[in-house]
Amino acid sequence: MKRITSFPLTFVALFGALLCGGCGKSDPDGNTSPPSAPGAKKLNIGVAFETLQTEYWVAGFEAIKAELKKRDITMLEAVADQDASRQLQQVKTFITRGVDGIILVPKDAKTCIPMIRAANEARIPIVLFNRPADKTDAVSTAVVADNRTLTRDTVAYMIEQAKKTGTKHKAMVVLGDLGDINAIGRRDGFEDAVKGNESVIQVVSRVPSEWNQEKAQAGVANALQANPDISFIFTSSDFLFPSITSALKAAGRYKKIGEPGHVILGGFDGDATAYQMLKDGYLDATGVQDVYFEAQQSVQALLDRREGKTVGELILDPGFVIHQGNLNEMAPRMWGANIKK
Amino acid sequence: MAATPVTNLESRTTTRLRSLCLSEYLVLALTVLMFAALAPFTPGLGTSANLLNALGYLLPLFIVAVGMTLVMITGGIDLSVTSIIALTSVVGAKLMTSDGGGTPAIIGVLVMLALGAGLGALNGTVITMLRLPAFIVTLASMMFLSGFAVWLTQSKNIYGLPGSFLALGQRLPIAFALTAALGVAAHLMLRRTVFGRWLYAVGQNATAAHISGVPVRAMTFAAYVASGLCAALASVMLTGRLETGSPVLGREILLDIIGATVVGGTSLFGGMGKIAWTFFGVLFLTVLDNALNLLSLSQFSITITKGAVILFAAVLDAVRNRFVVGRS
Repeated sequence: MKRITSFPLTFVALFGALLCGGCGKSDPDGNTSPPSAPGAKKLNIGVAFETLQTEYWVAGFEAIKAELKKRDITMLEAVADQDASRQLQQVKTFITRGVDGIILVPKDAKTCIPMIRAANEARIPIVLFNRPADKTDAVSTAVVADNRTLTRDTVAYMIEQAKKTGTKHKAMVVLGDLGDINAIGRRDGFEDAVKGNESVIQVVSRVPSEWNQEKAQAGVANALQANPDISFIFTSSDFLFPSITSALKAAGRYKKIGEPGHVILGGFDGDATAYQMLKDGYLDATGVQDVYFEAQQSVQALLDRREGKTVGELILDPGFVIHQGNLNEMAPRMWGANIKK
Repeated sequence: MAATPVTNLESRTTTRLRSLCLSEYLVLALTVLMFAALAPFTPGLGTSANLLNALGYLLPLFIVAVGMTLVMITGGIDLSVTSIIALTSVVGAKLMTSDGGGTPAIIGVLVMLALGAGLGALNGTVITMLRLPAFIVTLASMMFLSGFAVWLTQSKNIYGLPGSFLALGQRLPIAFALTAALGVAAHLMLRRTVFGRWLYAVGQNATAAHISGVPVRAMTFAAYVASGLCAALASVMLTGRLETGSPVLGREILLDIIGATVVGGTSLFGGMGKIAWTFFGVLFLTVLDNALNLLSLSQFSITITKGAVILFAAVLDAVRNRFVVGRS
């Protein structure tokens, strides 16, 4: 009988104790009310990223870290590995630690709402970096790139280049993970730009990458086999360019701008690979997210909220399209140009 | 002979250490040891707020791991559990929101559970009838169901779920009671019923079990149904906890589920495993993850540390299993 009941007893005993108040300690860091005056103590900010999967997220992470260091603020970090449930736990961990503010890159627009609400209940200001929350009564500020508009502008520039050739182009779009709001915005921006330009662009392939380089490479290679005359490719993120260029090289289609057979290429983010491709004359355009602007605005919005100032729910990063015509002028603002490869 | 007392003391210590290493509570002991070692310099680790936070994360993980344990005892594996979580999440959410006419929460939950069991039955049928490897079948269904969940919602998450449904994931006493009931029921089923003994028999030697009159196919089929059902119950909890029906819900936790089950001591080759061991494995991983987060280490440090500790625990378990005969 002892053998039979040992597990149920262990289980119930362990967690009964938890439900009755854990170890019975009070939280040494659990003061969630704001300090009496700004500057009275060194501030702690929790930075919770959904992933550090791409250069953009790493650049954003580093930009926030630098911004906090500049202001003499301690940064606590957490990365959820794309798991919303783990991210909720991490945000609550920050709250347990009694941070003075939280910067969050959420998994998506909806699963972050309980996290925002938890921060609200603890009276800790929270800012969403690069991904906004859906409409909710929970209070936060989002600092975001306008994915749809910036993509539309980037693809519109590419279409202008296509028009100059005087021929109709077959196009491919490499989609991101369509569980990600940014990927959806970029897909919609692409479709916006193409709509009404069917005489110039015929979309023959939509490659789902799920933000995975191997899947992107296989998808692009298959699409090029099925449609060898594809001459217009837009990728939802620059980090997929190595996969695309590899497939183009294998098909003998990787040509510089101006060379016969050049495939009009465009992307989004503004990473180091895209910068190099622009410099080398292979890439026509990419939509750049201004990561420094977003980091600075995120930290500022947190501090303003702590001081009781009115801060809007949305701070837009307009970003910019960088292309061969404005490369020298805009490169200093392109975060990928500042990464030493 | 003056050294005799020392020798006796050493021998007693060695015996105790050896018995601890051979104990089925080793993973629990390691968890307690880890907690005690980290608590002094990990801010907030032992606070009730943090422990309850960790518990909220642990419960759905344990529920899925219970189903995985039953499947692994039969010598199989179920890679589709996270896709079942995602699909049941969006189907249930669609039903309970205006998209699906606002079905009452209880109906939504029952549909989710039935769908989970049905998908498990589909896996079980293909594995037993077509005699295909479980790894391939559940890998294929993982891909199919993931894609289907994204297509069904067109990548959009579903919000605005009824409060009575959200309570299942957000109110810890309710979630705890459900999880405890499931864990205890599964434990007693394995330890006290013929059904449980047959599951072990299938995993230890399916041919011998068949000759002995054990309905091997039916038991294998039942294990996958249970796994699907557990995944659906975890989905109810996760969906409630995050207030969202998501087509990518749980996508990243598969390795945690399998890792916790194996670290707990359940054999990947079948025939050995206990719900208690799985619970200890889940507890171990949750405490480790929670402590590393509280220490605010970089993601890279956390990943490396977690991998190293899991490997250490797995190696230790493999070594001690050489000395254990008939542990289950």
